[in-house]
Amino acid sequence: MGVVDLTSMAEEQSTLRNEINERLLKLKSEISDYCFQCAKCTSGCEAHKLLELEPHKIVALLKRGLIDEMVNSDVIWTCMSCFKCRERCPQKVAPVEILFALKNMAVASGKQIPGKYTSMLQSILSIGLIQDVQSVSNRDNKTKKRDNLGLPKVSKPLDAVKFQTAITKLAVEKI
Amino acid sequence: MTKYALYPGCVMPTEQYAYEISIRDALPLLNIALVDVEGFSCCGEPMKSMNQLMTLYLSARNLALAEKQNLDLFVPCPMCHLSLSECQRALENNPEMRDRINSMLASEDLQYKGSIDVVHTINLLHDHIGIEEIKKHVKKSLSGLKVATHYGCHLIRPSEVGRPVDSENPQKMETILKVLGAEPLDYPEKLDCCGAMLSANLPESALTKTGQKLQKVQDQGFDVFVDVCPWCHRMFDSKQVKAGETVAVKLEIPVMYLTQLLGLALGVKKEKLGLELNLSPVDKLKLGDK
Ligand code: SF4
Ligand code: SF4
Repeated sequence: MGVVDLTSMAEEQSTLRNEINERLLKLKSEISDYCFQCAKCTSGCEAHKLLELEPHKIVALLKRGLIDEMVNSDVIWTCMSCFKCRERCPQKVAPVEILFALKNMAVASGKQIPGKYTSMLQSILSIGLIQDVQSVSNRDNKTKKRDNLGLPKVSKPLDAVKFQTAITKLAVEKI
Repeated sequence: MTKYALYPGCVMPTEQYAYEISIRDALPLLNIALVDVEGFSCCGEPMKSMNQLMTLYLSARNLALAEKQNLDLFVPCPMCHLSLSECQRALENNPEMRDRINSMLASEDLQYKGSIDVVHTINLLHDHIGIEEIKKHVKKSLSGLKVATHYGCHLIRPSEVGRPVDSENPQKMETILKVLGAEPLDYPEKLDCCGAMLSANLPESALTKTGQKLQKVQDQGFDVFVDVCPWCHRMFDSKQVKAGETVAVKLEIPVMYLTQLLGLALGVKKEKLGLELNLSPVDKLKLGDK
């Protein structure tokens, strides 16, 4: 099964969507009492100045139940997972975790997946790693590979079929 | 010799060879033996934005493979280290999830038990080997070297998951560098992110984050910028020229893995340690020439 099937099977992914929705509702009920919109998360957010991400607003929108609006917005994909918002929130609210759940929902809903995420998943499915062994250049512009640098073979799943079956199952249904 | 199983992850063994080479060259001098294990896959962390259950499953799978070796797991990548640590915590606190994951792992004859520790380069050196022990093995002091350190977000946060270093004032790398004779100095941008996680979908913005941090480091007159993460190093070293272009600055700051500096201080020849692979101008440090 290819990645395209995996990520666009809107119907079969309903269980997965339900699961993510439960997660979002849990985050909603857990944070609604605690976040007092101090915006400390946004003041330290690595994506704030450069990409205008405002994690405190993500929390506010979740409080109001505007989940679909956020799932459809590009802004959720500007988070760079620095975890500063989670670390520094005085109320132990974790905007970054809300953002992960929203992005998961966007993917499970068959939305277009940005950038290289699809090819990374494809690579995991076929060889177990996000990319295969690369040739690199040294400072003298000579090409080098693992084997001519004296490094052993890369560790990868031994039974590709069994590995792939498990991952494919995960991508389409609740475990 | 103390044995650890090595979990290489994806980025280090497929392109960041200098980290792996310097680890394999330097650690045996501190009586660490690394055991290669077959069958590992991605830790799952890069898939967290797509499917968090997949992240959890992949981490549990790798931990289960390592548990078969009955050895603690040395994990040089902070992203992998966070993913594996978070998985341990999640499956510890949620027996139901643990059973579900285990029923899936059974198809590969694996079972997650939660019986081993995961260790990153920093706590391996600082806490497991120990500063006193490292001191005994230093052959060439790195004296006079002004170092800016970069830990990487995933290594220091979220502290709730249990990280190897302090989240707001990490100092273990500084302590290690001091015992090697170097002079690490704090700077205002020390905790700033490299931006690597945006490389997948917003590569220009990722490079801008890298360029902004390196520009500040260069302006403050550091000799070398030291990191311990293959994702961060790919940004700061491998892509330094491009990162400079995004902020319209010519960046010429030597960037090295901590394990490369460690190796030099332990007396490993400078032809080793993968030093030819750093694309930043490390030659200007005249390291190992003394
Ligand atoms: S999430 Fe935390 S830091 Fe952000 S506004 Fe709410 S309480 Fe403040
Ligand atoms: S994890 Fe994302 S939302 Fe939170 S501070 Fe970092 S970039 Fe901002």
